[in-house]
Amino acid sequence: MFNRILIANRGEVAVRVIRACRELGVRSIAVYSKADRDSLHVRLADDAICIGEAPSSESYLNIPAIISAAEVADVEAIHPGWGFLAENAHFAEICESCQIKFIGPKPESIRLAGDKSVARQVMRKANVPIIPGSKEIIKDQDEAFRVAKKFGYPVIIKAAAGGGGKGMKVAHNDGKLISAFLTAQAEAEAAFGNRSVYIEKYIKEPRHIEVQILADSYGNILHLGERDCSIQRRHQKLIEESPATGVNEKLKRRIGETAVRVAKAVQYENAGTVEFLLDSDDNFYFMEMNTRLQVEHPVTEVITGIDLVKAQIRIAVGEKLKWSQSDIEFKGHAIECRINAEDPDREFLPSPGKIETLIWPGGPGVRVDSHAYAGYHIPPYYDSLIGKIIVHAPTRLEAIAVMQRAVKETVIGPVKTTLPLHEKILNRPRYREGKVSTNFIDTQFTTSKIGALEERPEET
Amino acid sequence: MTIKELKEMINLMEEHGLSELEVEKEGLKIRLKRGPSGKIVPESISYPAAPAHSTHRETSAIPPVGQQTGRDTMEAENVIIVRSPMVGTFYSAPAPDVAPYMEKGEKVSVGDVLCIIEAMKLMNEIKSDVSGLVLDILVENGQPVEFDQPLFKIQKA
Repeated sequence: MFNRILIANRGEVAVRVIRACRELGVRSIAVYSKADRDSLHVRLADDAICIGEAPSSESYLNIPAIISAAEVADVEAIHPGWGFLAENAHFAEICESCQIKFIGPKPESIRLAGDKSVARQVMRKANVPIIPGSKEIIKDQDEAFRVAKKFGYPVIIKAAAGGGGKGMKVAHNDGKLISAFLTAQAEAEAAFGNRSVYIEKYIKEPRHIEVQILADSYGNILHLGERDCSIQRRHQKLIEESPATGVNEKLKRRIGETAVRVAKAVQYENAGTVEFLLDSDDNFYFMEMNTRLQVEHPVTEVITGIDLVKAQIRIAVGEKLKWSQSDIEFKGHAIECRINAEDPDREFLPSPGKIETLIWPGGPGVRVDSHAYAGYHIPPYYDSLIGKIIVHAPTRLEAIAVMQRAVKETVIGPVKTTLPLHEKILNRPRYREGKVSTNFIDTQFTTSKIGALEERPEET
Repeated sequence: MTIKELKEMINLMEEHGLSELEVEKEGLKIRLKRGPSGKIVPESISYPAAPAHSTHRETSAIPPVGQQTGRDTMEAENVIIVRSPMVGTFYSAPAPDVAPYMEKGEKVSVGDVLCIIEAMKLMNEIKSDVSGLVLDILVENGQPVEFDQPLFKIQKA
C-alpha cells in the first residue's frame, strides 16, 4: 500500500479521499490555497501545504505548484479527486514522468474520452449504441443543414471538447439551426478554447442513466449498477438515485454490460462512469464517459457496500479486483441530494459567506459527505457545493421518506441553500411516482419575474 | 483608513463607553475591541482579497495587532516579511559548503539574492525588493517551504 498520497483537490472531495486514506493507513497530504486555510480538508489531513493564491488557476489548477508540493512531501501517488485536474491528461502524464502514480486511468483513456466526437467514433466501431449524429466535426453551415435534415429535428449541437452540460444548443427547425450552430461554436471557443462542434439527434424527455465502472490493471472490468441523474437544472445534477426506477431488470443488465463494453473499448483502468440517455421507448444511447469518480458516487457505495475511493487506491497500487460481476449485489434504494450554497429564489445566485448555524441530519439510513462546519466561511472562488445528503432504505418510497426527514432536520444558515428546493421536489407526485426525465425541473417548476423558482400546479 | 481616523474611532468608543466597534469602508473592515485591561485594541483588519462577491469575505491580510500574550505582534512600520512565492525547498546558499547568501544582521540591497527555492529540480533565486538589514532568517537550510511561508524579516533602510 502507498505510504503517502497527495490529494490535488479541496472541499468535500478532499475530505472524502482523506477518509479513505486514513482507513487504509495511508498518510494524506492536502494542498490548499490561501482562501482555504481554515478548510476542513486542511484540518483533517496528516500534512497540508499551501500552494498559492485563492483563484483556482493559481492553486488547484497550478500543476507546477502541485507537483512541487508532491515532491517536497515525498508522496508516491496523487489522487486528483473529481473536477480540477482529474480529467487533465497532461497532468496525468506529468505525474507519470515524475514517477508519481496518478490514481485514475491512463492518460490515453482520459484523452480519448475527453474528445466527445472521437469517443463517439470509438463507440460506433465497438457496436455501442450512440445517439444518431454526425460522424465528425461540422465544418460549415451547409453541412449543418445536411446533417440536421438526415437525422431529423430537433437536433442538438455540442462542443467536441466540452462536457459537464456546457456548450450545447438545441434547434427545432431550419430557421433556428444556423444561429444555434454559430452560437454553439462561439460558446465552445469561449469555454473550451476549441470551436469544434458536432450534431446529434435531440432525444426528447430522456432519462439520464449512468453506470459506475471499476477496472483493475489486469483487464478485469466490472460495473456497479446504474444511477438515475435525471433531476437536473441547466444540466447540473440536483438529485441522483440508484437503482433507476421503472427500468426493467433485463434492460438494466443490458445497459450495465454495454458500459463494460465501453470501458473495454478504451482499455480503461480505475474508476469511471459511462453516461447514457434512455428514451421513452427504452432505447438507450451512449452519451459520454467520465474518466474519474463522480460527485454522486456515494449512492453506488451505499447500495453495493463497496468503498469506491479505497478501491481506486487499491487498483492504483496494483491490486486485483477482489470481486467478479456475480459477486456484486444491490441492496435497497439510495438517493442523494446535492446541497449548494445558492439562492433558489434568486435564480440560484451563489450565496458564499459565513455559516453561523449548521446541523446535519443523522439517524438510520443517513450519510452526509461535507466539508462544511458551523463557523466556516464559504469562499467565493470555487463551486457552491457544500454537502451531500445520501439516504439508503429498502424501497424507493421509504428512501424518499428518509430523505424528507433528513432535509427537514437540516439547518444551515444564514447562507441560502437549495434545501427548500429539494423539499419541494421530494413532495411532487411525479417525482414520487418515479416519472423523472431531464426536463423534470423545467416542466414542474417555473421561474417567476423576480427569479424565484416556483412550483407549477400539479396535474389532476 | 488613516491614523487620525483610527484615533477618532477609539475616542468615540471611550466617549460612549462602547466595548466593540466595527467599521467597513470601501472594502476595508476594521474591528476595535476593548480588552480585559480596558485598553482598546484593533482585533482584526481585513481587505477584500479579490472581486466577484462583495459581502462577506474576510481574509485577513495582516495579522492582528494585539498585545495579548500568545499572539504575533505586527511588525513596526519599517519591517517587512519576505514570503515564499512558491512551494519548494529552501536553500540558504548557492551550493553546499559555500557561504550562505545572507546572514542575520547583514545589509541587503534591492535585487540582492536572498536564497534559493528549489521546485521540481529548478533552482529559483529569490531576490530582495527592499534595501536594509536582515533582522531574522525564519527557515533553515534544506527545509521544505509552502506558498506564502515567511522566510526573512528585513528592516527597511
